[in-house]
Amino acid sequence: MPQRLSFVLSVALPLLLAAPLAAADPFVFTAIPDEDETRLQQRFQKVADYLADELEVEVRFVPVKSYAAAVTAFRNDQVQLAWFGGLSGVQARERVPGSRALAQGVEDAEFRTYFIAHESTGLDEDTGLVDAMRDMTFTFGSKGSTSGRLMPEHYLREAFGEAPEAVFSRVGFSGNHSRTASLVASGAYQLGALNYTVWENELEAGNIDLDGVEVVWKTPTYPDYQWTIRGGIDERFGEGFADRVQQALLDMDDPDLLESFPRSGFIPVDNDDYEVIRQVGQQLDILD
Amino acid sequence: MTSLALTDLVADYGGERVIGPLDLTLAHGERVSLVGKSGAGKSTLLGVMQQRWRHLGAALMPQQLGLVPSLSVFHNVYMGGLARHSTWYNLVTLARPFRRDIDAITPLLERFDIADKCWAPVGELSGGQSQRVAAARAIHQRGGFLLADEPISALDGPLAERVLTALGEAYPTSVLAMHDVELALRFTDRVVGIADGRIALDEATHRLNARDLLELY
Amino acid sequence: MRHSATVRTSLGFVALALVCLLMADFQISAHDPWAELGRLFLGVTRPSFSAMDYLGEAVVRTLAFAFVGVGLGAAAGLMLALVFRHRAVRTTCAFIRAIHELFWALIFLQFFGLHPLTGVLAIAIPYAGIFAKVYAEILDESDPQPSTVVPHGAGVVSALAYTRFSQAWPHLASYTAYRLECGLRSSAVLGFVGMPTLGFYLESSFAQGQYATVGALLLLFYALIATLKLWARPRLLPLYLLAAPFLLGDGLPIRWQSVSRFFTEDIVPEPLRQGEGVAGLVPWLGDILANDALPGLWNTLLLTQIALVATGLLALMLYPLVSQHFTGRHATGRLRGALGHGVLVILRSTPEYLLAFILLQLWGPSMLPAVVALAIHNGGIIGHLVGQRSNQITLRPDAPRGIERYAFELTPRLYGPFLALLFYRWEIIMRETAILGILGIATLGFYVDSAIQEIRFDRAMILILITALLNIGVDVLARRLRNRLRLRHTASCEP
Repeated sequence: MPQRLSFVLSVALPLLLAAPLAAADPFVFTAIPDEDETRLQQRFQKVADYLADELEVEVRFVPVKSYAAAVTAFRNDQVQLAWFGGLSGVQARERVPGSRALAQGVEDAEFRTYFIAHESTGLDEDTGLVDAMRDMTFTFGSKGSTSGRLMPEHYLREAFGEAPEAVFSRVGFSGNHSRTASLVASGAYQLGALNYTVWENELEAGNIDLDGVEVVWKTPTYPDYQWTIRGGIDERFGEGFADRVQQALLDMDDPDLLESFPRSGFIPVDNDDYEVIRQVGQQLDILD
Repeated sequence: MTSLALTDLVADYGGERVIGPLDLTLAHGERVSLVGKSGAGKSTLLGVMQQRWRHLGAALMPQQLGLVPSLSVFHNVYMGGLARHSTWYNLVTLARPFRRDIDAITPLLERFDIADKCWAPVGELSGGQSQRVAAARAIHQRGGFLLADEPISALDGPLAERVLTALGEAYPTSVLAMHDVELALRFTDRVVGIADGRIALDEATHRLNARDLLELY
Repeated sequence: MRHSATVRTSLGFVALALVCLLMADFQISAHDPWAELGRLFLGVTRPSFSAMDYLGEAVVRTLAFAFVGVGLGAAAGLMLALVFRHRAVRTTCAFIRAIHELFWALIFLQFFGLHPLTGVLAIAIPYAGIFAKVYAEILDESDPQPSTVVPHGAGVVSALAYTRFSQAWPHLASYTAYRLECGLRSSAVLGFVGMPTLGFYLESSFAQGQYATVGALLLLFYALIATLKLWARPRLLPLYLLAAPFLLGDGLPIRWQSVSRFFTEDIVPEPLRQGEGVAGLVPWLGDILANDALPGLWNTLLLTQIALVATGLLALMLYPLVSQHFTGRHATGRLRGALGHGVLVILRSTPEYLLAFILLQLWGPSMLPAVVALAIHNGGIIGHLVGQRSNQITLRPDAPRGIERYAFELTPRLYGPFLALLFYRWEIIMRETAILGILGIATLGFYVDSAIQEIRFDRAMILILITALLNIGVDVLARRLRNRLRLRHTASCEP
């Protein structure tokens, strides 16, 4: 009978507020969702297990849905370590005093963006950024991506002297690199720009049909992905903790772990190495 | 309880005078019936009394009954006793009635021949049944006096008398608007006749007969 | 005369939509959209439940967020409904419901982060605003008589509970049940911004073209909604409500400094933060208006107008599917009716956000996926309600059949209620249009999302505010139109 319900509701609802919203304090890290998100948890759980063994603390990986969410979680101290892109790393370190870049992939010191084109465009391999591209459709990756947005936009502006929106008939943001690859492969966009390691990876995995899509230009190199840790971490997890994290990252040599980035190994890096990214970010008015 | 009085009462509706000016005093222990043809102002007068005297502990039975169709007969009757209980007790009763209230209300329903409908929503009842529920609610209220507008308009013969008897037992002091002249004479002590919004007759029942009242119609 | 005003208004709307159509960006740019659609259908017919060890958890979280969010929203809405006559309350409610739950989630994500509170409040706050309005309308419609006979001295709460609430209870309950269904959709969609609900996995699987997984997730979601009446029994609801808060998951702990920082720093306009004062504010605001707000506004209006008319047309085409006057009342008719119902359930229970996302993947980026998604979802809802209304009409025995019955007997009689419903959904369509921007269509949501991706919450807040004001404006306009055309009021059909 409905009357009965109304009573129970009036008792039950206040209790909702009293429910415990638990709080524990493990070492938490995240990663930007730059490619296949369904595998993020799988990929990084292995890394979490490795770090837990090396550091002898409870380590937890938390997946996020966007680059900005990774930066926000880092900034709000909900994660203490993150695998950032070049731009998101700069954004994060600017907002958290004392935070530092610990390590980058061997490949990240000389990273590249590939511009790819659907075969219907008639563009050949390595044609470069040419006027024939004007009025085609073009997709970036995520809005906050270094290799999928920041650097390609930088080089597009350099080549065409105007904003991508003025050059192309349509400019989209696919969300991540593997989606850029599949959107251009399907012809949904004629052109796209993506992280070269993702491209190589997809190619190796046999996900890309080279008859349908081709790399038309490779950018010059720039620094990209890196591990960044929050400032003040030593006070929470013990003296020298940040250094131990760095060492653990540099020591990672299990191909199974490295494959998930995919990187061949990690090398030390510091904040200044990303100065060039910061400058480009400011030029493009993405950074204040 | 001191006597209840209306002095120099007037009521207008849509710019027209419907009541008064009139004076009326109700003494303790007095059962009064208001009679008169429809449109004479009985209901309006009773409405004014209900408004003015409600806070003095009046039990009300308006013509539209004021029942809640989605609630059961029991709960509608129980509503008469809302002021006697705490809020929590009332809310719990809404979900799950207490034995002692059921025991208090059941005899009343039996007397009015609606005990079998105790848990039926009032919305499913006939007009006559609803009227008995409203009467039971008024009785269950145990107020200081009763103000009822046509309390038996939808009831016939024996049931009408049964309801009037019960109301009379529960309320020695009452004002009932009545269309049935004969019942008015039998069940009240004083008859106030209303015509054109004024008092046309005010007499003890034992000094009146049905023919005297016919002049009002 | 009255009739012609209705027709004139309708034709005006259609004409305006046609003009918008000329200016809108419609295009299927995918190379082979039908092959992709085929793969999707294949995935739905051969769903793979095995791939997901997280499936059970996603379902539990989806339910938990819906129950806690809707429960809190309903409780708060009920309180607000009691004081709804105050202008300040009405305005506040109009404002909080004008901001879509995804925007609320994006805001809370900035300081609560991936904590369950983000998802719970994202549902509870806008729902409270909607509940307050509809509850107040339902309570106002209840008969005031019973409250006049309540004995003097009875407490206010007792009196309310026995009179107005008891009378309004069936309507309150059915509306709340309907919102619970909406809450499930909202909860699922919150996964798109990171809450651990079905949407989280749906988005990832879709992005990777894992259609078998997508199929499994979609089927699970439909099953949840279609069986809602079976498991969401009034008797069990208290149990669910009590259990739900414990099933939200831990998320990550909240740092309260982040909350104060959000309000004292993040959303303070940049020129003020940099000490440039009000002088710097003008060019800053001008820049946002010119580059983000106006283009976003333009596209939002364009898309809303087209989607509104498309929704109306689709609803008029769909309602016979569930109208007894067309399906018939006997055995085969009931079967046909059940089929029609099934179709409409699928159409309306797919969140428009999800539909738009699917269609965008299939057809490539343009306004087309958004219009189709909005029309399918909202047309499904209005078609369902109009069909139900048609069943209350009794036709004379010799009434014409088929298309003549449709054109001469039923549609003219249902047109008033139909238009009323459509105007009710106008604001909702606009709210959704804005939010679809997050998927990449250049409506206001696109610019909000961009600002958030650039971690510029001051800009994002200005744009969200503009979106809210736009929604309030449309709401007011729709109400004026309803009053002018004297369209019947149908509180419980909203939104």
